[in-house]
This record gives sequence, C-alpha cells and structure tokens, in this order.
Amino acid sequence: MKVHVKHWSAVAQWRWNTGNNDQDDEGDVCGICRVPYEGCCPSCKMPGDDCPLIWGECSHIFHMHCLLKWLGTAPSKQQCPMDRRPWVTAERKIADTSNNPI
Amino acid sequence: MASISARRLRKELNEIHAEGCPCGIKLLNADNFETWFFSIEVLGESLYQGEVFKLMFRFDANYPISSPAVQFVVDQNIQAPIHPHVYSNGHICASILGTEWSPVLSVSAICVTLQSMLASSKAKERPVDNDRYVRTAPDNPKKTRFQYDDDTV
Repeated sequence: MKVHVKHWSAVAQWRWNTGNNDQDDEGDVCGICRVPYEGCCPSCKMPGDDCPLIWGECSHIFHMHCLLKWLGTAPSKQQCPMDRRPWVTAERKIADTSNNPI
Repeated sequence: MASISARRLRKELNEIHAEGCPCGIKLLNADNFETWFFSIEVLGESLYQGEVFKLMFRFDANYPISSPAVQFVVDQNIQAPIHPHVYSNGHICASILGTEWSPVLSVSAICVTLQSMLASSKAKERPVDNDRYVRTAPDNPKKTRFQYDDDTV
C-alpha cells in the first residue's frame, strides 16, 4: 500500500540534550552508525528512551548500543572511537540547561 | 532486517554519490554491501605518478564495528604499488586496517589514508619479508597479524 502524506502538523518535538542547542541544526549523528542521535541505533526499531545516548568524559557522544557493541570487541581496547582515549562514561550533567531533553 | 553493515554502507554510498570521492579516488563497483572496488592514484608529485591502482574492500556484517578487509587488487592487468608496506599479493600493512581501526573511520577515510601512505613514500621497495609473507599469506589480510614497526611512511 502506498500512502501519500498531504498535510502534517507537528505538535511536539524532542531532542537529546547534547549541549548543542542550535535549533536550525539538522542534528548530529552517531559517529559509529551515522544515524542522527534522535534516530535509533541499527539494532533498535524505535528512537527514544529505549535507545539512549551515552556521554564520555572525553565529551564524545554515541548511541549507547553502538558504543557498547564497540567496547565489547577486543580490538576496541576499551577506547573511545574518536580519540582513542580510555572510555570513561560521564555522569549526565542534568543541571546544565534543563531537566528534560529539549 | 538489514544488517548493521548494510545500513551504514548505504549511507556511505549515498554520500559518495552525492559528494563524489576524494580527489584521485574513483568508485568502480559497489553493487552489493560485501565487496566494493575503487581506483586510486596519487595526484601531484610522487613516486607513483601516472600509476593507477585498484583497491578491494570486503565488509562483514559487523562493519563498522569490525574493520573491513582492504587490499590492492593484483591480476593480469593490474599490480599492487611497490611500497615498503604493500606486499606483492596486494596485502597492506597499515595500522588503521588492523589494531588501530576505529568504527568512526569510513571507506573514504581509508582511501585517503592509503593515498597519503603512497604519496609520502620515499622508496619503491617491497617489504623486506615480502617473499616469505606472500608464500604463506591467507586470502583475507585481516587474518594476518602485522607488526607496525615503521611509522615514518
């Protein structure tokens, strides 16, 4: 079946609070799967809380599932894919801008 | 469901079609998400002026978590570049294809790295252990544990 969407009205929008608040920005992508943060990793079907992001102390951000898949391999040597520093998961800085994803 | 590799490779392919390959690199064949071929040449002054080589990428279903198998194609029509890190069977000793692989790298990033590996070459020589390696080399270069003992080239 082919469906043509003629009109749609957005009633809400959500984004992960990554500190990048540029509203015009198309949004950053996970460096591992290249899917936007607001999309989900290739193993998940639905974006949202079930496919969250993970923050490193090095400031790099990935889909949690993508990063864990990488860290689960021996060649990762437990390093951040971006800077090859030992991966340390950062506590989410909930207080910095708002309590909820914008 | 499409594998992780197919999804990621489709994105890379779209990007290549939209923006083109880096200078000196041409996509020859990407009919599936298992094996891709590129032509590669070094532009500007280098020991490989006027030479064109062919690269083969082989991806498993876990790409980019697992690295692609990358080598130069060697057959009746085309040879591998003569380079201290390239064996005559086309296998390449480059750390980013082995222990230094990272899933944020991409096919174009590898092409550019290999291009600069050729561009910075100071001598057209085979690796010192070429004959011994080629005699016993596995089909897939990922099965070889290379020693990356030279970071000057």
